[in-house]
This record gives sequence, C-alpha cells and structure tokens, in this order.
Amino acid sequence: MARVELKQVSKSFGSTDVIRDVSLSIEEGEFAVFVGPSGCGKSTLLRMIAGLEETSGGEIFIGGDDVTDAEPADRGVAMVFQSYALYPHMTVADNMSFGLRMAHRPKEEIASKVGRAAKILQLEEYLQRKPAQLSGGQRQRVAIGRAIVRDPKVFLFDEPLSNLDAELRVQMRVELAKLHRVLGNTMIYVTHDQTEALTMADRIVVLRSGRIEQIGTPQDLYQDPDNAFVAGFIGSPRMNFLTAIVQAGGRLAFGGQEMDSPAQTPLEPGRKLQLGLRPEHLDQDKGVDLEAKVEFVEAMGSTAYVHATLATGETIIAERRSSQPRTGDKIILHFAPASARLFGEDGQRIR
Amino acid sequence: MSGAGKRQRLTLRIAAIPMGLLALSCLYPIFFAVNNALKTRHDYMLDRFGLAMQPTLDNFVQAWTRAHLDEYFLNSVIATLGAVILLMVVSSMAGFALASLRFPYRRFLFAVILSSLMIPVQVVLVPFMRTMLALNLVNTHIGLILSYTAFFLPFSVYMMTAFYSGLPRELIEAARIDGASLLQVWWHVMLPLGTPALVTLAILNTLSCWNDILISLLVMQKHRTLMVGISALKGQYSDQIPLFTAGIVIAAAPIVVLYILFQRRIVSGIAVGAVKG
Repeated sequence: MARVELKQVSKSFGSTDVIRDVSLSIEEGEFAVFVGPSGCGKSTLLRMIAGLEETSGGEIFIGGDDVTDAEPADRGVAMVFQSYALYPHMTVADNMSFGLRMAHRPKEEIASKVGRAAKILQLEEYLQRKPAQLSGGQRQRVAIGRAIVRDPKVFLFDEPLSNLDAELRVQMRVELAKLHRVLGNTMIYVTHDQTEALTMADRIVVLRSGRIEQIGTPQDLYQDPDNAFVAGFIGSPRMNFLTAIVQAGGRLAFGGQEMDSPAQTPLEPGRKLQLGLRPEHLDQDKGVDLEAKVEFVEAMGSTAYVHATLATGETIIAERRSSQPRTGDKIILHFAPASARLFGEDGQRIR
Repeated sequence: MSGAGKRQRLTLRIAAIPMGLLALSCLYPIFFAVNNALKTRHDYMLDRFGLAMQPTLDNFVQAWTRAHLDEYFLNSVIATLGAVILLMVVSSMAGFALASLRFPYRRFLFAVILSSLMIPVQVVLVPFMRTMLALNLVNTHIGLILSYTAFFLPFSVYMMTAFYSGLPRELIEAARIDGASLLQVWWHVMLPLGTPALVTLAILNTLSCWNDILISLLVMQKHRTLMVGISALKGQYSDQIPLFTAGIVIAAAPIVVLYILFQRRIVSGIAVGAVKG
C-alpha cells in the first residue's frame, strides 16, 4: 500500500505534448479512476506511473520514493492490460508466477502465493490450462491474478474491461470493487467509460488534452462540475447545454423561457452563457417549464429518453419515467431551477 | 450445373498434363541417380537407362570410404548445424530488438540490413576473402559457420523482425513490469513465441547451407564440404558414373528427407517472407 504523488509531470512525443504539467496525489488504499475521451492522455499517464513511458518533466513518487527514473519492476507496481497480455505459451500457473520466478523467490512461496490468488479469483481448476483455452473473463482474472501475486504497492489497470461483453463487464466491475475492498491496495484505473468511473471510483480524475479538468468523488463531479467538459462527460445521456442570454435584472433567457439565474455571481446583461440541464432532471412535476416538440423517443423499458426541439430550434434530451410521449407530440418539460448549472462561454462554471 | 462441373473437370485434366510433365522432369533425375547408383560399372556401360537388374550397395560404400564422402559429410553437418543454430539465435535477438525496442537509428539499421539482401554473394567475394584471410579463418569450421551466418543473416533478421512486429507490445511490457531483464524477456517470452518463424528459418537456412558450393569452396579449401566434394567427384571419377551418382544420392538424401518432413513449413515460410513486413 502506498501513496502515489505526481508533481508537475509532463510528457511529449517529439513536439506533441501529451501530458501537460499534471500534479496529483492518490492516497493510500484509494481507488482512483482516470477518465476522459480517447487521446486525452489517461493511458499515457498510467504508463508513466508504471515506468513504461519515460517522463519528460516533473517527478513521480510512490510510497514516498522518487521513482521518476526507476525501472518498471523496481516501482512496486503491477499492471493489468486491456489486451490482458498473458504469455500465450505458458500455463495459467506459470503466467501468474512469472514475476516471482524472475525475482528468484523460493518455490514454496511461489506456490502459496499463486494458490492464494487462484483462490481469490476462482481460478484453481484452470491453473494448468493455457490462456487460449480460457474465456475472456477467465483470461481477465488471470491477468489480475498475475498482478495480485506480485503483492504490489499499487495496482494499475489500463481499460481492463473493454474487451469483455456488456454482461461480463458489469460482473467484473463488481468483482474488481470487491477485490479492492479485500486487498486494500492503492489502485489506479483507466477507462473511457464514465459508468465504470462513477460506479468504482473513490475519486475520479477527469483528463482532457493532457490536462486535469477536475478531481473529485463521483458525487462531486456529477453534482458540482467545475466546467462544461466535466459536466458533459460525467452522466449518461450527457447534459443538455442551452444558450442563455443574461437579461436586465440578472434573469436568463433560454429555449423560449426565462428564469432567475441559479448562480450567486452577479451577471452583466447581454452576456451569452450556457445553461446545463441533465436529462434526468427534466422529469419534474413542477418548476420551470420548457415547451418542446418530440422528435424521437428511445424506449428503454422502465424509462424513455425523449429527443425534442425547443422553440429556439435547440435539441434537448429528457428522461421520462412515467408517461412516454410519441413522436410529434408537444410536451412541457419541468425542472427545478436549482438543478440547472451555469457555464461561461469559455466553458468555466459560474457558481 | 453438371455441364459447368464437367467443363471444369476437363480444364483441370488439361492443366494436369504440363504439371505432370514438370513433376516428371523433377523426379526423373532422382530416379536416374538412384537407379544407376545401384548398378556396377559394367552394368552401367551395357545399359545406361535400364533398371538395375542386380542392385548393389557397393557404390555407396566406395563413395563413403574411398572418395572421402564420410569426412565431407561430417564437415557439412558441422557447418550447417553450427550456422543454423547461430543464425536462429542472432536473428531472433536482432528481430526482437528491431521490432520491439526503441533505440536511435533503428530504422536506418533495419534499412541497411534489408539492403544487404539485395547484394549478391559474388559481388563481395574479394573483400570477403581478404577479410577471411586476415582473420585466419580460412580452412576452419568456425570460418565457414561465420560466413554462412553472415550471408544468410539479412533474410533471417528481416523475417524475425516481421514476425515479432506482429506480436503485441504489451507482452514485453508485462514481462518488464514482472521484473524480467531484456535478455530474460527474449529468453522467456520472445524465443518461445518465435518458434513457428524460427522452425521455418531453420529449414530454409539448412537448405541454403547444405546446398552451398561457392562459399565453402572458398573458405574450406583443404577440408571439403559434401557439395564441393561431389562436384570434385565429377572430375576425379568421370568414368565411374555409378559411383558419382551414389555420391549425389548421399548428398541429397538429408535434404529430401527434410523436405518431405517439413513440406508445409517450407511453403508457409516462403509465404511469410513474401507477405509480411
């Protein structure tokens, strides 16, 4: 178990900056998730912590030791890759014990550690099989087993569930969360899937273009996003953004409607802003009403997502739990003013 | 439907005629050699093309002992085995480095190795010979092994690089995190995973080394290899065709056996070299 600390870390490939000045600390035993769209640098950042990518600038500490220039094996980390990266010519047992064998650990120790990991992951009956004879989920568990056996200070996961089918992904998500509770190690997990981030993380780090956009608990990011990017990235379907113009007296005009600003900050009239409304907050019985014309209904069983256009021509997605309208219907969407979030034109949150 | 089938079958039969002739032209010399190797010199004089009526193994014994094919055979085995093992080790290491590691001038180095594929042996004979003389490697097994390795290495390195480029990088990264040194990664991961390509390379290189005359003629001037020895038989025993053909059969036998055993590998190996990279 160890604390991971990044101090003004940066990385460039040639003239392209992939990671820019990232400072971050992950507490002992914490489950941290790096999330962001593809190309945001989240995998690169993880690989830098692992030592698979050299650091162009800044320092990395694991458990108080400066590991910026240390070899991957000397950092006390174990990594689970998206492709699992199991050695195809070795049995499950040999795959899991490879690291210990490289470290010349005694045979009894290797056997007991592999046995323990196999027990935790329910792999005992597959120990003599080759990876090719296993299903995707089993291979995934072997890859995790290989990490557990090494008793690392920090576990690193690089999109480990992306290659699994939807059902198995949900199942493994729960198992990984359980595993974290059992082992208690510091874990850093990279994903582009915000559902995985929200369900598993103690803390989420949202990245974009090599910079940290926001760090916080899942609730923080959902309830209180720092900027329009985080607000749009966290939550599914994504938050609706409507153009709002500040009127005299600080009222906001948007989507053919007017309301008082939800922010404390005084706003100058004529300023153009973005009003963020989550689809799940548009299903209230009362509050501000927005008239909309239904274009398309996505029925999901218990709920439905209604795609509609407002008087201003902007499209909006709203969740409907009780009544499900039909295409062409005119509906009134209600929302509580307090659930709206306000962002400047630069995307920064106005509180 | 049946008309089309019939026409197709007819086309196949017509195509089979030149194929059959081609096969015959390959098989007949082998038959000729084996058949005449079993005749006495007298029988051969009487009937060159007829079947051996009283087959004898005398020619094989004679060729093996009197014409020193036993010694030549051993020389060939040592040179071929040594060169093939060295080629596999070096090309696997080089392929691993060129495909998976990042170091300065990597692409340039690979281009140089590739370009040496295009230079025929004959062009570099003079500098090659001078180097061998300067290093005192002429007339040594080591010299021949190193020469074969040098001349057949570019293709082997190219093939291993192409093969290893197809393996996921994560395997090496996982091994690095597991604490393996580069040499351990090569030994525990790359070498076993390279087996299919290495087996193919071993076969192709065995064929090249075993059948070589030019390089061994230059390097092994005192101790001949089998192919050089066979070529010399032609001059020394020009009136003893049965003895000569027995020598040919002895020289060709290992390669024919190898070919029959690994036919599939040889074909797929040629395809690997052709398609990948």
